[in-house]
Amino acid sequence: MTDEHDTPDLRRLGVEPDDLDGHTIEELGEYLDSGRMPPDPSIDDSPGCLLALDALERLRGLTPGLIAADDAAEPEADEGWVQKILTGIALDARPGRRIPIAAGSPHADLGITEGAVRGLVRAAENAVPGVLVGRCRLDGDVTVAGAPIRIRVDASVPYGQPIPGLADRLRAQIAVRLRAHTELNVVGIDITVHDIQLLPSPGEEGR
Amino acid sequence: MGDDGFHKTLAQADDRIVAGRAADGDTAAFAVLVRRYTPMMRAYARRMLAGSADVDDVVQDAFITAWQQLPALEDTAKVKSWLMRITSRKAVDRIRAHKPHADLDDVEAPAPEHLSPPQAAEARAGVQALGEALRELPGPQRECWILREIAGYSYEEIAEELEVPLSTVRGLLARARKHLIVRMEQWR
Repeated sequence: MTDEHDTPDLRRLGVEPDDLDGHTIEELGEYLDSGRMPPDPSIDDSPGCLLALDALERLRGLTPGLIAADDAAEPEADEGWVQKILTGIALDARPGRRIPIAAGSPHADLGITEGAVRGLVRAAENAVPGVLVGRCRLDGDVTVAGAPIRIRVDASVPYGQPIPGLADRLRAQIAVRLRAHTELNVVGIDITVHDIQLLPSPGEEGR
Repeated sequence: MGDDGFHKTLAQADDRIVAGRAADGDTAAFAVLVRRYTPMMRAYARRMLAGSADVDDVVQDAFITAWQQLPALEDTAKVKSWLMRITSRKAVDRIRAHKPHADLDDVEAPAPEHLSPPQAAEARAGVQALGEALRELPGPQRECWILREIAGYSYEEIAEELEVPLSTVRGLLARARKHLIVRMEQWR
């Protein structure tokens, strides 16, 4: 509560057009929403409107606090909850397109899914500690054998190491894995590093 | 790095990485999103539903829809506001299912009487009073206000979400604001 009412307000907050020199709360709310632009002197020069605008702004000022308090009042998600949701989605893998693999025999029809290839790309991060692979896209018609394919991946890297070197190592690891497990004609691997991550300190890691 | 270290790294990764992996089918990354945003989505659904027991159902539905639609999310860095929108939609669906004939031009909020005992979670007094005043609003006014002020919807988006004319949204929002500022003034 504030105690700054040395000069008591002569006017009290009113919310009807009579109190607002003919304006409505609806208009004033939208005036605030538009950042009080363009300026409207019939609002800006009206004491009744200014009182109401102040009240609307105070209300708006409280909203972030309400959101924060609401969030803080909720418990963390427990593992039972997380597992319940994962169970609901587990059957829905994301196979994506089917990528052919040349068979030694005309009677065999071999292939690998795009989802499996993405898994291979992600696994390359294991060889470059601290690097995380994000989204991975295969640009090009992967369903046609030999079609040129560009791989695009997002990555985050650990703090304190030169980014170009890490990106090169990741790129090399992705290439090795794709060569070993697919017949994709990879013409380029583009890595976008958008985040640098502070790793958990060694002391914390063991916990 | 051990498995534990890896999971810690993933749990700390930014939304773009985590949601990008989940979009590509990595369920461990999706679990990180579930842990990260369950409290926010529950809090939001709780405000929308105002005391209904359906909060967890709404949030669970929202996550399942999110998993299905993640591949279509172009900018995975925006996954937080995107999840909020899915939660809004699920909450509105739930409200509609329970009240099929809800009249959107329903009664005014009951005349303010006195503040009921504040909930402990709403720490600051002003915030507490706002939380209480919000609970007093009739459903449609409250939903409109929350979509606008908490989820950041435009008037047009609210009209679409609630399937009502734009003029109705304007009216509901104005009445909600009127009630809230009068209430806050009494509290001061």
